[in-house]
Amino acid sequence: MPRIARTFIKTGLAYFLCSLLLALGYEFDTFRFPGMIPLFWHLLMVGWITQIIFGVSMWMFPGRTREEGLIAQKWAWSTYILLNIGLMLRVIAEPMIGYSTLRIWDVLIIISALTQVAAAVTYTIELWPRIQSKKKRRQNRKKKRQSSKNNPH
Amino acid sequence: MPTTSRWMIRCSLLYLLVGFTIGTIMLISKAYPAYSQVWMLLPVHIEMLIFGFIIQFTMGTAYWILPRFLEGEPRGNTAWSKVMVGALNAGILINAWSYLNIFPQWGTTVGRSLEIIAVILFIHLHWRRAVSYR
Repeated sequence: MPRIARTFIKTGLAYFLCSLLLALGYEFDTFRFPGMIPLFWHLLMVGWITQIIFGVSMWMFPGRTREEGLIAQKWAWSTYILLNIGLMLRVIAEPMIGYSTLRIWDVLIIISALTQVAAAVTYTIELWPRIQSKKKRRQNRKKKRQSSKNNPH
Repeated sequence: MPTTSRWMIRCSLLYLLVGFTIGTIMLISKAYPAYSQVWMLLPVHIEMLIFGFIIQFTMGTAYWILPRFLEGEPRGNTAWSKVMVGALNAGILINAWSYLNIFPQWGTTVGRSLEIIAVILFIHLHWRRAVSYR
């Protein structure tokens, strides 16, 4: 399993636990804070389920690069970074909007929203060309083999 | 990857983009409460991301990856699988349009019924594929 898939899955597991701890906290008045319910749903559905789908698909779908690294897997790592920055900013800023009128929380919420949608775009850029039929996959492999024969270095 | 899976996964990516864009607009409106009318998009956001992205992506991947039949069509009747894709996506779109009042409110009954048809077809196509050939 490539490092990007492992990172997505492990981060997803951490969010899974956090979301359920948040749901448990909601049962006690002392732990409640504004925006807790939408946060719980987003940690569960984006932090856990979406992240697991992203991680497993990047591992299982055909046509992945065997080369590891930020440059070789730029769209996959961009997705991971953008999605998690977006989620973390939401976790920080969404409750604060209920407590404070400072402009910074509005700005953080906007950045959070934009980074999450940017993650959806980079994920689509990564995965779309990998949705291939067997025939297309064979053609691509053949092309790759031919080009490596022609340019051995 | 079979055609049915390719279509389902591509559609799910489109729903992901639309669903996240709607989510972005709603989240930004938390910073600008004057534009709170965008919250009428909440049921569309949920429909597109849960049924359109998560469920459809899972169904498309399962259709591709579950064990194939050793005889006959490897993944069962392909015509039924196409009806499944059509019913699921028609259901999602009809529901979304009903939430936006483009369709009357009873449109959600039609939409959910189409989604149920898709799920019945999914079960029909996959029940006997959940096997071990050992």
